Amino acid sequence: MRRSTEFARVAGALAGVLLGGAAWAATDAERIDTLEKQVAQMEATRPARGDEGLPLHGFLDVGGAYRSNGGPRGFGVGNLDFYLAPRIGDRIKGLVELTFEVDSATGELETDLERAQLGYVFGDFATAWAGRFHSPWGYWNTAYHHGAQIQTSITRPQFLEFEDHGGIIPAHTVGLWATGVVPLDAGKVSYDLFGGNSARIDLNPPTTPASGELNPNQATATNHHGSVGFNLGYVFPGVFEGLKAGLHGYTATIDDNAVAPNSTRVRFGGGYLVYLENDWEILGEYYEFSNLDLSGGTGTHRSRAAYLQAGWTFGRWTPYARGEKAALDQTDAYFAQQAQGGSYDRVVAGLRYDLDPRAALKLEANHTRFTDRIVSSFSEVQVQWAIRF
Amino acid sequence: MGHTLLTRHEGRSIGSSSIRILGVAMLLAAFSGSSRADQFVIANLSVTFSGDEVREVYLGEKQFAGEQKLVPVDNTAIQGLFLSRVLRMTPSRYETAWIKKSFREGLAIPSVRSSNSETLEFVRHTPGAVGYVVADKPPAGVVVVTKF
Repeated sequence: MRRSTEFARVAGALAGVLLGGAAWAATDAERIDTLEKQVAQMEATRPARGDEGLPLHGFLDVGGAYRSNGGPRGFGVGNLDFYLAPRIGDRIKGLVELTFEVDSATGELETDLERAQLGYVFGDFATAWAGRFHSPWGYWNTAYHHGAQIQTSITRPQFLEFEDHGGIIPAHTVGLWATGVVPLDAGKVSYDLFGGNSARIDLNPPTTPASGELNPNQATATNHHGSVGFNLGYVFPGVFEGLKAGLHGYTATIDDNAVAPNSTRVRFGGGYLVYLENDWEILGEYYEFSNLDLSGGTGTHRSRAAYLQAGWTFGRWTPYARGEKAALDQTDAYFAQQAQGGSYDRVVAGLRYDLDPRAALKLEANHTRFTDRIVSSFSEVQVQWAIRF
Repeated sequence: MGHTLLTRHEGRSIGSSSIRILGVAMLLAAFSGSSRADQFVIANLSVTFSGDEVREVYLGEKQFAGEQKLVPVDNTAIQGLFLSRVLRMTPSRYETAWIKKSFREGLAIPSVRSSNSETLEFVRHTPGAVGYVVADKPPAGVVVVTKF
């Protein structure tokens, strides 16, 4: 009996405390609610973070290299890459990528307007771009651009390098580009259609064969030729999420400035496969060339190039490896006149450590074997510290 | 007088009863509080899209709902929960994904709101806005796209 009385007393006291607390809470909640509304109104009238002006982003990398054949040794500055993405309303946008880099041969500072493109967005299904953009063949060329920090490896596959780094395919196009994604019942289809000025090969000097470098002809089509290309991809759904497969093709008439100029109708097609889920990054691309000699009458020349790269991320570490091979017909003036147009194969192994989501350290070794022109090989070790900001 | 005095055993018994009652009350309060709070993906009244498309919206894969440009915003109050449950990503991977998207396609990275009320107000007043909040009940004045 006594216990039940005491129980009632304790329960009564507890109820009193709870009720009193509830009354206090109701008063306080009203105050907080009023205050929250005032803060929300103030916040709603100020610009959100990210809306204040035009943000300037960029990438910077520094590093070093040791090459076995007397090539580059020591430290160096890589790229300082600024990019801007101005927007005018919901449908007009721009993309500018301005790069400062040190020429590895001369040590001179070079400036390149790598991308300068203006776009109109019709919807998810179509965006039209005009200007200078990265040619949307394959996967790599429009995935990493000049941002070393977002690229797992230090190096690009040699045959996909930018023109001024010895690339043998026009990495930039100056012209028009339509791109979009169309959802299907299962998965999505992505497409790119592009066309513009044809590139040219600048020999340096014109009297020296095999000294050429591709020039994307960004002022105008000095050779009065054009280029067109496409990229058609399929994004897998469901359990295959992260997998994308695609086909690509490109054709252009490309001349050089030799004393007796060569003109080639360059044509290539191929495919790619990428997998980017579950901490894996697997990339593979294949290019098959069928180039027609328009000036020398030597007919059609076939060449091919491919790479396969795989990396797996655990924690902050990403070990990766890549194999690449280019078998390029040296009787084809298009390849024969380019300084880096020789056939080769290369194996690459590397380790990336993410100090921070915006900063990475990379260590990479490669062995390269040249299989025509001058048969030789070299090994190289590179380190890179890359950030984005 | 003796009736007003409790034995040591009785005192311990009532003391432990009080603690038990208090404990039960606190547990009830805690559970009733957590059961009221839900996480909602919300959108401005100008927007209609399905819950299955939220991931695409927040990764920049879906930028339009019909003719309406979508404006996703992040809410730092529950961003970690949203990223892990809906996008199945860590904050660093999410940031990296958007840096790549911005760098590749010139897209604007979602702006950030620092509270539920700020997110709710922004979504209510901005055509095309999409956000996520914690609330006791489905917020009024917005489209509730899904719960997570």
